[in-house]
Amino acid sequence: MEIWKMAFRNISRRKLRTTLTVLGIVVGVSLMLALFSLVSGMDVRVTQMVRALGGADITIYNATFPGRGGQPFGGFGTIMRGTLPIELLQQINQIPGVYIASPQLSFMGYLGSSRITIYGIDPSTYDEVTGGLNIIEGRGLKQEDKNKIVLGKTIVEASNITIGSKVKIGISATEQEDFEVVGVFETGVMFQENAGYITLEDAQRLTGYMGQISQILVKCEDPYIVSEVANTISNLIPGVRITTPTAMITQATQLLNTLTMFFATIGLVALLAGSFGVMNTMFMAISERTREIGILKAIGARNREILKMFLAEAIIIGALGGGIGIIIGAIITYILPMFIPGFIGIAPFIGGTTARGIRQIRTTQTFTPTLTPINIALCFSLGVLVGLLAGLYPAWRASKMKPVEALRHV
Amino acid sequence: MYKGKSIVKVINLVKIYKRGKIEVPALRGINLEIPTGKIIGIAGPSGSGKTTMLNIIGGLDTPTKGKVYVDDIDITTLNEKELSEYRLKKVGYIFQFYNLIPVLTALENVEVPMILSKIPKEERKRRAMELLKMVGLEDRVNHKPDEMSGGEQQRVAIARALANDPSIILADEPTGNIDTDTTIKIMNLIVNLNKHMNKTFIIATHDPIVMEKCEKVHKIRDGRILEET
Repeated sequence: MEIWKMAFRNISRRKLRTTLTVLGIVVGVSLMLALFSLVSGMDVRVTQMVRALGGADITIYNATFPGRGGQPFGGFGTIMRGTLPIELLQQINQIPGVYIASPQLSFMGYLGSSRITIYGIDPSTYDEVTGGLNIIEGRGLKQEDKNKIVLGKTIVEASNITIGSKVKIGISATEQEDFEVVGVFETGVMFQENAGYITLEDAQRLTGYMGQISQILVKCEDPYIVSEVANTISNLIPGVRITTPTAMITQATQLLNTLTMFFATIGLVALLAGSFGVMNTMFMAISERTREIGILKAIGARNREILKMFLAEAIIIGALGGGIGIIIGAIITYILPMFIPGFIGIAPFIGGTTARGIRQIRTTQTFTPTLTPINIALCFSLGVLVGLLAGLYPAWRASKMKPVEALRHV
Repeated sequence: MYKGKSIVKVINLVKIYKRGKIEVPALRGINLEIPTGKIIGIAGPSGSGKTTMLNIIGGLDTPTKGKVYVDDIDITTLNEKELSEYRLKKVGYIFQFYNLIPVLTALENVEVPMILSKIPKEERKRRAMELLKMVGLEDRVNHKPDEMSGGEQQRVAIARALANDPSIILADEPTGNIDTDTTIKIMNLIVNLNKHMNKTFIIATHDPIVMEKCEKVHKIRDGRILEET
């Protein structure tokens, strides 16, 4: 205990030098914490995104519809944007590089009196294109289903609907048909779960858009040709808006990876530089206090005690750096997303992008680096460790000094 | 030589420093006995070897040749770790420049040797207070060295030297840096401590005021004992 008290007073002797040395570690620790938070945020993120964006490589919309444009993933019009003729599906399927295309008719509908998003899908192709819904209860839709619906977990939990319940579904609160709930899906994102999936035929009948669809979801043969295929589609079929969710994910992931590498490199370099700072400070302290080392040895301090004393100082510097570093790191973690506008939205929107579209995605999908207690503890320890390691050699040198020579030092 | 028991016995002590290829003899065969419970002076000009001898007796330096017995233990055979233990328990050191730890208060400075010998906090504090009272610094306990005069600092150093109740107290020019009045006060203190605590003091000095207070002064020159007065 006495050793720590003394170490603390000793490092307070040179406040500016100590502060600067501590700052060296702060930079490293805070960047490392930001990095760790970024990485922990990333895992959660990519899975969420794939779900959120429907999992298709390419989504095709009608771009000419003057209504509520710019909502590529489900806006709030009665029909999301304009429709496309079902015949287009054939055409898309013939484009080289397209593995399979799946039609979808989505609209803002009603479940009883509450508004939900309803997706009319083609069960035979939907799963192959998107990877399918995450069914947590009951079953998914089948091709031959009629007036059957799969509802989101949020809806089911908020009401007393269970598998087998009859619900009323329609384009308004009055024009409704009876549907039987056959399954419950989960995405983990609340707004996405405020939705129901029915067959395309049911959707077309409910909306009256016979032979019409609102989106075509495309899976490519190879994830690396997505942009190429998207370009072909937009050249071949005028008036469609195309988004490439998976390409966006890839790009976002790449950006995250770049950022990770960037932080890791800077963080490690900073920590290394910080450790040199600590070492330098310790050597300076030892050279200034050579005489004191001599005194302590003269009055009976063992080598080990001298070692401990100086190591304690290095550890305090490391701990201060670690402590302040995690605070600054936490701040960086929180403000980082603000400096990377539309983290996801910066991914290209082939076939026309509106500012609104980007905003829309961003508001629904904010990037959140995750600050975990483990990472905080880890980064703090990193600071302490750097102090300890950097202090080891100087402290050892101090402990090995010959008392007479040290005493002669002025 | 002396009647009674000797606490320190120095036999044919030789110390040769090597400066590159040149050998510089500091001690050329010293024989000396220090009786228990006396104040003994070692006098001589600077460079005469008195500090070297004191350092060897104090376990800070090792001789090239010769033996030093302290309390019947040959300290020249001790290893580094044993020497620090010896310095801690058997020797109290008083330096010309006080050599207190600047970040510590008077009380804490006196506590240091007791911290090193793992004396429990309560006892340590109590004893440090007692010692500071003994040297007349009870109202200076919480002052740092730079807040005290030279004489006060030297008294703290004396209290520190006594902390672990050592067998011998070595003082290297203890008054070399303080004025005459203070020198007299310090010497009176040492005489008092010698009388009441029966401590052996070995004082290297060339100050006549100091020598006057010594029961015996050994003169040393060019690494040899000259005469006894």
